Formats: sequence, C-alpha cells, structure tokens
Amino acid sequence: MMLRVICGHVQEDFRVPDDILISVIDDDESLCLAMVGLIRSFGYRASGHGSAEAFLRSGEMARARCIVTDIHMAGLNGLELKQLLDEQECHVPVIMMTARTEEALLMRARESGALCLLQKPFPADALIGWIDKALAT
Amino acid sequence: MIRSAPERPEDILDLVTESVIVRGLDGRIRLWNDMSETIYGWRRENALGRPLHGLLHSHHPLTIAGIESLLAEKGVWEGELTRSTADGREVRIETRWIMRRDDHGRPVDIVETGRDMTHFPELELETRLNTHRYRNLFQAMAASFWELDFSLVRRMIEDLVNDGVRDLRAYLAAHPDFIRRAMAATHVIDVNEKTVQLFGAQGRAQLRGMNVAPFWPCASEYIYAQALVAAFESRPHYIAETKVATLDGREIDVIFTVCWPTEHKGRGSVLVGIIDISEQVAARAALERIRAELAHAARVSILGELVASIAHEVNQPLAAIATNGEAGLRWLARPEPDVEEVRMLTGRMVADARRAADIIARIRGMAAKRAPEPTLMSLNGLIEEAMLFLRHERQAHDVALTLDLAPDLPPLRADRTQVQQVVVNLAVNAMQAMNQAGSPERALKVRTRPAGPATLLCEMEDSGPGIPPDHLERLFDSFFTTKESGLGIGLSICRSIIEAHGGEIRAANLPGGACFSFTLPAGPAPADHAAIVE
Repeated sequence: MMLRVICGHVQEDFRVPDDILISVIDDDESLCLAMVGLIRSFGYRASGHGSAEAFLRSGEMARARCIVTDIHMAGLNGLELKQLLDEQECHVPVIMMTARTEEALLMRARESGALCLLQKPFPADALIGWIDKALAT
Repeated sequence: MIRSAPERPEDILDLVTESVIVRGLDGRIRLWNDMSETIYGWRRENALGRPLHGLLHSHHPLTIAGIESLLAEKGVWEGELTRSTADGREVRIETRWIMRRDDHGRPVDIVETGRDMTHFPELELETRLNTHRYRNLFQAMAASFWELDFSLVRRMIEDLVNDGVRDLRAYLAAHPDFIRRAMAATHVIDVNEKTVQLFGAQGRAQLRGMNVAPFWPCASEYIYAQALVAAFESRPHYIAETKVATLDGREIDVIFTVCWPTEHKGRGSVLVGIIDISEQVAARAALERIRAELAHAARVSILGELVASIAHEVNQPLAAIATNGEAGLRWLARPEPDVEEVRMLTGRMVADARRAADIIARIRGMAAKRAPEPTLMSLNGLIEEAMLFLRHERQAHDVALTLDLAPDLPPLRADRTQVQQVVVNLAVNAMQAMNQAGSPERALKVRTRPAGPATLLCEMEDSGPGIPPDHLERLFDSFFTTKESGLGIGLSICRSIIEAHGGEIRAANLPGGACFSFTLPAGPAPADHAAIVE
C-alpha cells in the first residue's frame, strides 16, 4: 500500500478494484487520513484533500460519487463549497462534518442542501450509513 | 427734648430712633412714625395710604419684587435699600421687614424698621455687612453648619495637659472613653436650616443645647478623636470623610470639616460644616461592585473560552484515533485480515495519541505560573500595602481591621507579587465569608510573628461563621468552593504559592471565627535557594 501526500492532497494508488470514488475534505491531516482509511475499509475508493481548493484543483468533482467535507476550514469553507457546487450544477451528495456546536452554524449547514450533518466525533457506522444512502440516490 | 406721655399706643413709636412703617398687603402705608418723617421728609398725612415703594423709589439689586417674594416665603427679610427722600436726596436705609399674621396664619401686614445709613462711618458699615453676610452664609448654604460650644472640652484637654499629657493621640488610644465624654461635653449653640433637614430634626430649637454624642456612630469615633488632636495641636482646621448618625436613626456619608475661627477662640466655640455625600458614596460603591463583577465575569468567560478551545484541540486527534481504530477493526474482520493496513492505522493512532499529549503539555505550559522571583522584603510592609489596597472592600463590608505586626521581624525572602496575592486572597475570603453570613461584628485581625529561627508566621483571624468541619479537608483543593459565583481556585493557588516558597498554609476554626495562617522562610536564604524554588 502506497500513500503519497502532496500539498495536503492525499491520494492512494489504484489497487482497490471498486470504481466508486468518495472524496474526503478536512484540514486536519490525520483526521482526513483516518477517514480515507475508514471508507476504504468498507471497500470504496477514497481520496483525501486538505482544503476545498485542493479538492477543486484535483478535478475529482466530475468523478466523485459522494463528498464528505468538514465545515470549518481555512479558505473556502464547507458551506461555500456546497454553494459553489450548486452554482456549477454539480449534484454530488455532500455529507458535512463539524466539531462546532453553535446552533446558528448547524442550522445553516442543514439548510445548505447537504445530505446530512455529522457532529464530530461520530461513530463509523453513521458515516458509512450515510455514504450508502448517498450512493443509492 | 421733653415730650408729653403719648395718648395712643402707636405714639410710643414716635419715641423710637428708627423709622417704623407698617404697610398693608397692597403695599399702601398704614403707619408712619416721627422718625420716618425725619428720614424721608414726607409728613404723616402725606404718606399714609400711598404705596410705600412708589413714594420712596425703593431700590435693591434683587429688585423689590424679588425681596417681596423672599419675605412672603420666609416671613422676614433684612437688607439695605436705596430710596429717595421728598426733596430728591438719595439715602441708604438698613431695613428689616417682618410679615405679621393672624391667628390662622394668614398674612395681615408688613412692619418695616429702618435706619439711615447714608452717613454711617464706612468701617462700621463694613462690619455690619460682614455680620449680615455671615448670617446669610450660615443660613443659606446647602451645607449643614453647626456652631458648637467647645469650651468644656478645651478645659478637659487643659486638665490633661496639667496632668502631664503631652501626646493626646496616644492618650486617646489608651483612654477611648475620653472621646465619648468629650462628645457629651460638646454642645450645640446653633445650626442652620439645612442641618435640621439633613439630620431629621423637628426644628433648630430641638438641636440647640443638645450634646453631639448621638450624632457620632461608634465607627466614626476616631474622626472626632482626630479633630480633638487637631485642636490640641492648634491646627486651624480639620477635614475628613466619615459617617454621621441622624436623629431618625440613619447613617449618612459626609465630608466633615471643623475650624476654630480666631474671633471665636475666646468664647471657645467652633464651626462645623457637614456636606452630605451619600449619593456620591453610593455611586462609588456601585461602581466598585460592577467592576468586581465584571472582573469575575471576565475570568469566568476566559475560562469558558479556554475550556472550549482545549476541548476542540484535543477532540481532533481523539476523533482520528477512534476512526483509525474502527477502520483497523474492519480490516482485521475481513476473511483475510490485512495486517499491513492495520499496521499503518496503528502507527497513525500512536502518532495522534502523541499529538493529543503534546497539546495537553502545551496548555499546561501556558497555564503554569512564571517561576517565583524571590527578593528580600518586609512581611509587615507587604501586609500593610495589601490592606491599603483592600481599603474600599473593607469599607464596603464594614470590616474593622486590627494589625498586630511584630516589630523587628527578619526580612522575608519571597516573590512579592505572589505573597501579596496570598494575603489579598485570604483577606477577601474572610471579608466575603463574614458578609455572606451576615455577621454583625466584622473584625479582621492580621498578626505576624517569628515562628522558629528562620521562619515567619502570618495569621489572619476573622469573626465570621468559621469553616464547616467537613470542608476543612478539601478547602485547598482546586474547584472547591462554597461561594455562589466562586471558581474555587483562590485557595488552591494560595497553597501552590506558599508551598513553592517552602512554606505551609493552614486553616482552622477559633471560638469566634476562622483563622488562616501561613509560614514563609526568612531571608537571607542560602545561595542555592533559588534552585530549590525552581
């Protein structure tokens, strides 16, 4: 298993046979890696990005079947990313995550059109359950 | 001049050497005596029935209407008028007007007596004017004024001097009862209207002849004593902020001034001025309270922010560990466990756990107080300074402070700011405990003693409710508090500071309150002391 980390952009090699790609965006590098690892353990392909900008540069937008993103990040945040995707008529389901608890922020996340909002820390089953739902749409 | 006995009672007025004029409420002249004819040049038959002020062109800087309304308000007016005589000369008349009333208190007429001052010697005029001014000042000021008979007290002090007393301050400290006796011997000669109002008296008559003892609460006795000392040392005046008692049982904050006017010296009377500052004092107290509350709120909110950011910082690696752990379990649960994946995930978990530990270490480093900077200083001086710092708090809680500081203590070797923090913290705790328990007698005693060859002891006793026995054990623990809004870190910080200096801190109950004590090493310390502190 090879792992390359370039500018916060984490990508594994293509040994996982399945064709379904899940993009993970979180500016906490180790948490990003951990989630990529977790999603892979369920048999999906996953790639991690340290920022929304890195994700947009990667060109994965057209290929990803589901985007899992943190809300609070430097640069473009999760809510802004979702808005940008909407503007570009990209209808990939988005799962949002946050460690914050401010009610106003949570409300905005729920109203953003995201598939769901996961509050960190969350159990692995919850994430996988939502990814399954996203892929079923 | 020989005159026959007057036939009518008002003819007696013709014998008077002042002008006497009675006018009705309409201002028309009803009575005009011989002296009025002499001064103004109008004969009685020409004056009677005419408006007084029109006839004589009365003039006053306040306007005639102005002084008429003063008269209507007070019932009496005195002052100097300018008038014209029948032959057009200008005269200065010193007059006194009195409004007469019937049995129902309704005004009937106005009696005026007047004296021609036109040719009066200037000096005498000046003296009269001064007396008048003084009387006006005494009555009209918004301050309370007292003229007091101090002659008996002067005699009491003279007796002391004859008995060999040279230091009145020391004598009063040793014989506090003298102060009350001196108060009882100080009598009120006169007061102004403002005094009647401020002290809730029925009238000036009630206050005249009283002694001043009832106006001095016990806590203010020392102010009276200091005024005595000022008199004894022939200082011209004394001024202080204090509390005085009113006749209706209130206590008010005032500025108290006393002076011994030179022209009154022979008669032994003193002048006291009292200005009510209760509103200012209340505003100041409210400000202090708000400041204290704000400081506390700031401390609490800073703590809240700190906790939230620590929680977030630590949560991230913990979430990563949990996620990696779950992923690892899944790889292991596969029919063919992928050991390589699990090895990598476990490596990440170890790294994240280390990261969490680093965050904790960093926070601890941030919160840790700077190392003590020991210097040599006087423990007594440090305590006196701390008590000065707490003066407002002490007054607010009405706490009597006694300092019993051992002279000739060896110097203390410690971090000045930190030890001061301990002293202030213990004193504030004591005052708050007495306040919270509503203790009627609030006394704080601070004592210093040598305790062993190279150890200093400070004890702080209060007259509060004491410490519940089951609290004694936990008193110095972090986050232990009995105060509604307390954080419970004050005493634990005190203990850290004292122990870092190589001392000990203890709490105990006394028959009438609690006692906190701490020891600290006396200096100069051995050369490697600083290293031990580190």
